[in-house]
Amino acid sequence: MNAAAAIRAENLTKVFGTVTALAGVSMEVGHGETLGILGDNGAGKSTLLKILTGYHQPDSGQVFVDERPVRLASVDEARALGIECVYQDLALVDGLSVYHNLFLNRELLRRGPFRLLDHKAMRRQAEAALAEIGVVVPSVEIEVGALSGGQRQAIAVARAVHSNARILLLDEPLAAMGAREAQQIIGLIARLKARGDIAIVMIAHNYAQTLEICDRVILMQHGEITFESAAAATSAAELLDIVRREYRAARGG
Amino acid sequence: MAEPIAAQRRRSAALRAGLAGRARQFLLRPEASVIVVSAALVAYFELVNANFLTDANLQTLSQFVAAPVIIACGEIMLLICREIDLSVGQVFALAPFVMGYAHLFGLPVIAAIVVALAVSALIGLIIGLITIGLGVPSFITTLGMLFLVNGVTLTISRGFPANVPGGPTLGGVMGAWGYSEILWALAIVAIMHVVLRHTRWGLHTVAIGGNPVAAAEAGIAIDRIKIGNFVLTSALGGFTGLLEAFRVGSADPLAGGSNIMFLGVASGVIGGTAIAGGAGTILGGLIGGIMLGVLQDGFTLQGINAFTFNIIIGAAILVAMVANIHLARRRRRSAE
Repeated sequence: MNAAAAIRAENLTKVFGTVTALAGVSMEVGHGETLGILGDNGAGKSTLLKILTGYHQPDSGQVFVDERPVRLASVDEARALGIECVYQDLALVDGLSVYHNLFLNRELLRRGPFRLLDHKAMRRQAEAALAEIGVVVPSVEIEVGALSGGQRQAIAVARAVHSNARILLLDEPLAAMGAREAQQIIGLIARLKARGDIAIVMIAHNYAQTLEICDRVILMQHGEITFESAAAATSAAELLDIVRREYRAARGG
Repeated sequence: MAEPIAAQRRRSAALRAGLAGRARQFLLRPEASVIVVSAALVAYFELVNANFLTDANLQTLSQFVAAPVIIACGEIMLLICREIDLSVGQVFALAPFVMGYAHLFGLPVIAAIVVALAVSALIGLIIGLITIGLGVPSFITTLGMLFLVNGVTLTISRGFPANVPGGPTLGGVMGAWGYSEILWALAIVAIMHVVLRHTRWGLHTVAIGGNPVAAAEAGIAIDRIKIGNFVLTSALGGFTGLLEAFRVGSADPLAGGSNIMFLGVASGVIGGTAIAGGAGTILGGLIGGIMLGVLQDGFTLQGINAFTFNIIIGAAILVAMVANIHLARRRRRSAE
């Protein structure tokens, strides 16, 4: 494990009414490392992700960015610390072009009193930004709605990276994707990892794919981390076995 | 040096394919069908009535077109960000009376115009604050405002028309000269086209309508932009009312109303603005307004009565909508 974690959480708890979403969760990710979070619906994965993005605040526990304790009171504060979350389907405006989406609310403006949009500079920089991380689209002027699911996800990730994200949170980046599309995203994540300066945390359902992409995986159940391992040291079968055992124990009471 | 014939052929074939591709791209745009239909209508009316393309009739035509087009500029911005203003026609009727009373109270005409525009904008601000602040759908807010503003206009005018103040020069600039209203409309179209396509305001208006969650997630100030577009629409409505009052030479408490509002909305929708938000162009609204104006003016020249005219306008809106939905589907398919 890396000496200095890009982001680290200690003993996070979160209760919604009578439901304990997180019962003391600790995790960390290093620069250039990819962590996969697996688990069933309701295991607390999303709550953990939303605390890291500043959307929810934990009842207790502490988050550290670059080993400095931080309070992520809002999404904007988290973003200012370089934490960006990519939600599938939520991130992009279908009716706008690829480059408008990449620059959404960070548009480049021309000099002059009218502060008009600098379409040319945005197109050029969008092409460069996509080329840099190897995302291929027919044209940056094409409407995002006309792209495939894989391309859209890649654009959403590219936008986060382009806005200088150093800690990238991916919410089910491969959900509802065909094999070839998923492969595009897997390749993209591998290229981002190779840059070495971005820490990636991804929530996923598919064990085999997650093990293929990630350096390390954690398994969450009932708001706790029940298993943690380097990806190379475990297998989909072992993870499935742990989940089944837990499920049987819960049902057997 | 002579080029090999094969290469020449290849080049001209490529050129033709490029032109054909561009023509096809143009025809797939929502405005294109409306341009084609408008041109055909102009040709038809000129053919059956030699008076169509005369200076006198072009003035009349331009007056049919101008008011709905200016109203459309505001409604298009609102429709794109998933709102609508039903009361803009009542602000249209109120503004000339506000100007008249401000003048009666001793303000110079120019200042009275500014006061009328400020009151119009204020109505837009109130609509925006109620809609955004209290979460009332704008359909309802502006429906209420429609009756409220209409009642105010009828009360302060006691139901009677009033004279508009000002000398012939100001009157001419503000609408009395035959082409001044259409020139105002074209200037506003040009400005609003730039606002929609080339400013953050316009881009964010599209983003809000296209995907409100993504817009909020990106930190766009949704409330500010929606309220701003309500203010803009009401101010444009008031301004159009002033132009019409100067053109006619009097303020009429029954001017404008729902008719002008629906013509504005129809111009936008015929020109390709999506009722569900997220898409639309100002130029489309101009073209839609021209098409409605040509229909209205052409059938008036032919002596078709107002009842039949409504049938034709209704059919035109339905045909344009069906065509737009069909074209949007074709466009999406050709992009894939």
